[in-house]
Amino acid sequence: MNMIEVRDLVKSYSSATVVNIPALYIAPGETIGLVGNNGAGKTTLFRMLLDLVRPTDGVVTSKGIPVAHTDAWKYYTGSHLDEGFLIDYLTPEEYFKFIGDLHGLSTGDIQERLLPFNDLFNGEVLKQRKYIRDFSKGNQKKVGIAAAALSHPELLILDEPFANLDPSSQIRLKNLMRSLHEQHGMTMLISSHDLNHVTEVCKRIVILEKGQIVQDMQTTENTLQALEAYFTV
Amino acid sequence: MLGTLLSLQWKQSRRSPAYQKSLVVKIILGFFIVYFALIFIALGFFSHKLLTEIYPDQSPVVSFNSFLLFYFLIDLVSRFMLQDLPVLAIQPFLHLPLKRNKLVHFVLLRSIPSVFNLLMLLVFVPFMLRAVMPVHGTGIALVWLAALLLLTFINNFILIYFKRQLTSNPKLTLILALVVGGLILLDYLQLLSLRQASVTAFGALLQQPWLLFVPVLGLVGTYLLNYRFLMRHLYPEEIFIKKVATVEGNDMAFLNRFGDTGKLIALELKLIWRHKRPKSMVMISAFLLFYGLIFYTNKVYLEGWGMLIFVGIFVTGSPMFNYGQFVPAWQSAHYDALLTRPITTYQYVKAKYLMFVPSILLVTVLTLPYALFGSKVLLINLASCLFNIGVNSIVVLYFAALNKDRLDLSNGSAFNWQGVGASRFVMMLPMVLGPIAIFLPFSFMDIPQWGIFAIALSGVLGIVFHRQLLSMMAKRLQDRKYTLAAGFRQH
Repeated sequence: MNMIEVRDLVKSYSSATVVNIPALYIAPGETIGLVGNNGAGKTTLFRMLLDLVRPTDGVVTSKGIPVAHTDAWKYYTGSHLDEGFLIDYLTPEEYFKFIGDLHGLSTGDIQERLLPFNDLFNGEVLKQRKYIRDFSKGNQKKVGIAAAALSHPELLILDEPFANLDPSSQIRLKNLMRSLHEQHGMTMLISSHDLNHVTEVCKRIVILEKGQIVQDMQTTENTLQALEAYFTV
Repeated sequence: MLGTLLSLQWKQSRRSPAYQKSLVVKIILGFFIVYFALIFIALGFFSHKLLTEIYPDQSPVVSFNSFLLFYFLIDLVSRFMLQDLPVLAIQPFLHLPLKRNKLVHFVLLRSIPSVFNLLMLLVFVPFMLRAVMPVHGTGIALVWLAALLLLTFINNFILIYFKRQLTSNPKLTLILALVVGGLILLDYLQLLSLRQASVTAFGALLQQPWLLFVPVLGLVGTYLLNYRFLMRHLYPEEIFIKKVATVEGNDMAFLNRFGDTGKLIALELKLIWRHKRPKSMVMISAFLLFYGLIFYTNKVYLEGWGMLIFVGIFVTGSPMFNYGQFVPAWQSAHYDALLTRPITTYQYVKAKYLMFVPSILLVTVLTLPYALFGSKVLLINLASCLFNIGVNSIVVLYFAALNKDRLDLSNGSAFNWQGVGASRFVMMLPMVLGPIAIFLPFSFMDIPQWGIFAIALSGVLGIVFHRQLLSMMAKRLQDRKYTLAAGFRQH
C-alpha cells in the first residue's frame, strides 16, 4: 500500500488555482524531493498532505485512509513546515519532551534519539536555558527538524529544511537525513530550493510549477544538470 | 521629510491589525468611546457644582487645584503600568540618509498626540470654561490650562525616559505606586498635606501667570533629557528593549496523572506564565474579584435579585471569561503544530474544560467572604459557580470556534483590542442573560429562591452531561479547524 496517495487534488482561492495534481503516489521508503519556484504550491501541497488546508477537490490518503477522516497518520508522520510548528515559548528540551510524551517516549528515549543531532545542534540548542522564540532562525529550524524526526516517523515531511542553515549545518543535515533513511527506512518528502542538496538526499525528484507536476523523475547522475537546465531561464 | 515620516506613521497605525475589524466591533468600540468621552465631558462640566457641594467653604477652583498634584502623580503611575514606549520602528530608517536628530525629534514629538496626553482635556476644558474663566478671566484661564497640559507632557517624557532606563521593571512600578499611595495616606492622616501644596502651587499660578515658565522649563528639561539620551543611544539594541527571557516554570509533574490532557494543560499554563498578555489577563481577573464590592455595598442592589445574579456569574466566572474568550487563539502561533501531532480534538477541548473548572472553583472559594453581605449573596454565588462550570464553560467553548484571528501575546491585555472579534460581545449575552432568563419565571411567581435553585440545577445538569457536551464542542471545533488554522496563519 502506498504511504501517500494524492488523487485529483485541487486547491483554488477564489479564481486562482494554486495546486492541481491529478495523481501522485509515494511508496513506503521513498525519498522525494519537491522543487519549484516561489508560488509553485509546494507549501500548500504539504499543508493538504497534513490536513491543515481543506482541498477544493480531490483526496489525500495516508496508508489508504483519507487524512481528513482520521488521526491515525499523526502517529507515524513527522513534519516541520514553518515556525507555526514550534511551540516557541518552551525551551527546546521542554518541546522535545512534550512531543516525546505524545508518542510515548521516555526521557531516556528522547535523549538517545537526539544523540545523532548533536553535530547538527553544534552545542547551540540544548542546555541553553532559553525559549525557542529567542533562538536564531537557523537554530529554530534545527529544533523543528529534530522534533519532527524524534518519534522516528515512517513518513517525514520537511519544508525547506536547508534554508537558514549555515553551510556546515546543511552538510550535517544532509548526512543525518541519509542515515535516518537508511537506519529506519523513513519515507521522506522534502522541498528545497537547493538543487544540489535535494538531489543528493532524494532518489526521486518532482518538479512543481504553478501548482502542477511538470516532471517526476528518478535521480541519476544527470539529474542535477537537468534541473539546472530546467530552472535556467 | 518630517511629513513623509508622519504619513508612514499614519499608514502604520491605519494598517495595523488592530484597525482591521468587522463593522460590528467598530460600532461597539465606537459606542464605548463616545460613552466614556461623554462621561469625562460631563465630569468637567459639573465638577464645579459637585466640588461646591462637597467643599462649600472654598471656591471650586481651589478644590479642583487641591487634587491636581495627586492627579499628576497617579497619572504617572498609571502611565508606568499602561503606556508603551513610542514604538515608531525607527529601525528601518536608521540606515537611510536621514539626520539622526530629526529621527530623534520625530520619535519624541510623535509621543505627544496620544490618548494618555489628551484624554484629560475632556475634563479640563469644560471645567476651565465653567469655573476658571468666570472667576479669573480668559487669559489666566488659558494659562492655567496650558500649565496642566505642560505638566501632562512632562509626565509623558518622564515616563519615556525612565521606562526605557528601567526596562519596565514591574517591581519599580509597584514601589512608585506605593510611594504615591503613601503620600495620599499621609495627606488623609493630615501629616503631610500634599493637597495644601497643590492649592498653593496652582493658586500662585492663577495670581502670577508668569509662573507658567516653571512647567515650560520642566518640559524643555525632560525633553532635552530624552533627546540627549536617544542621540547617544541610537542603536536598535539599546533603544528597543529586547531581553532574552530567563526560563521559568518547571515540569508540573502532578499534571502527568491526567495523561495527554494533563500535558496539554501544563503546556497552556506555561503559555499563560510566559507571555505578557495572558499573564496580565490573570492579574485583571484578580482585580475583578473586587467587582462585587460595588454592588454588595449598595442597598438597592442587595435587596433585588437580578443584579446579584449578574454579579455572581461575572465574579465567579471572570478568569474563565477573560481567558476563554480567546480560546483557541492563544495558541494561534503554533496551531499547526497541535493539528499535526497526535492530539484528538476531544482531548484538546477537555484540557480547556479542566482548566476552567478549577479556576471557577478557586474564585468561588476566594469570594466566600462576600457571604458577610448575607446568605443570599452566598447562595447566588454558589449557584453561579455551578452554572459557570456546567453551562457557561460550554458556551465559552462554543464561541471559541469563532475565534479565527491570530492573537499577539507579547503586549499587555489592558486596552488591547488586537484580535478582538464581534463574537466576544455576542458571547457575553447568553452567559449573563441565560441565568437571568431561567430565574425570571420564578421571580414572577414570587419564589425567587427556587429560581436560584433552578440556575444551580441547570449547572448540575451541564456537569452531569459534560462528556456529551464536550464531544459536541470538539466536533464543532474539528469542523472549523481549516478556517481557524488559515486565520491563525495570517500575520
